[in-house]
Amino acid sequence: MKVQVGDELPELIKHPTTRQLVQYAGAQGDFYEIHYDQDYARSVGLPGVILHGLLKAAFLGQLVTDWLGDEGRLKTFEVSYRGLDVPGRPYTCRGKVTKVDGHEVELEVWGEDPDGNRTTIGKATAAI
Amino acid sequence: MTTATSVVEKLRARIGVPGQPIQAAVEAGHLKRFADAIGDPNPRWLAEAPPTFLVAIAPTSIHLREAEEYGQGWLNGGNRFEHVEPVKVGDVITATAKVADVYEKSGSSGTLLFIVFETEYTNQHGKTVARLRGTAIRR
Repeated sequence: MKVQVGDELPELIKHPTTRQLVQYAGAQGDFYEIHYDQDYARSVGLPGVILHGLLKAAFLGQLVTDWLGDEGRLKTFEVSYRGLDVPGRPYTCRGKVTKVDGHEVELEVWGEDPDGNRTTIGKATAAI
Repeated sequence: MTTATSVVEKLRARIGVPGQPIQAAVEAGHLKRFADAIGDPNPRWLAEAPPTFLVAIAPTSIHLREAEEYGQGWLNGGNRFEHVEPVKVGDVITATAKVADVYEKSGSSGTLLFIVFETEYTNQHGKTVARLRGTAIRR
């Protein structure tokens, strides 16, 4: 794979629903009520149920592994959650190459809400 | 009455103390349910764990009841995964978590409590396959 600094990863648009949050809660085993119980979520000052941070991390993981293909190997992957995301609003994952050193690459990745706010930001290193 | 300061002190006493190891096998059905839940159709994930899967076989944080006396809810601040070896169906993973740091920080909505967890995952051959660092926030 020919990779250069500044290359952009093909964007990945996700359409999370409350159904997906329940599905994810079950698959991960995280039953914190803020992800499926609207009344509970509001009672702790949230606008309603919100996406799991780790679901957004999984979306960004897919962005990177789709780009890397089966030959590439993701080595480190870190994300910081900067804002809340709610189901029913598309979540766009983007990334770009920030460093290339032989087969080692560094990436900047982020997830955006429909207003363009980067609600999750992160970095990854991989071998290509 | 429990004060915020005493909660922080109690949690700080846990820093570096490893929790009880948790062991779990990587099952094909679980991998598929996880890949379906995150909406990733890559057939690779029928046999191999996708990047964040390990959080699903063992809790990402030690449940710290004391921390729930602080603030009204949890938020996830961030996660860092280090992948050392691929994790495949049939692997038996042992996760050992510890509290790495505890601190308070003032934000726009008041004071927040940050708890940093570190988990090390080893496989049935005793090899480290991954490490996870996560920041849980009480608000």
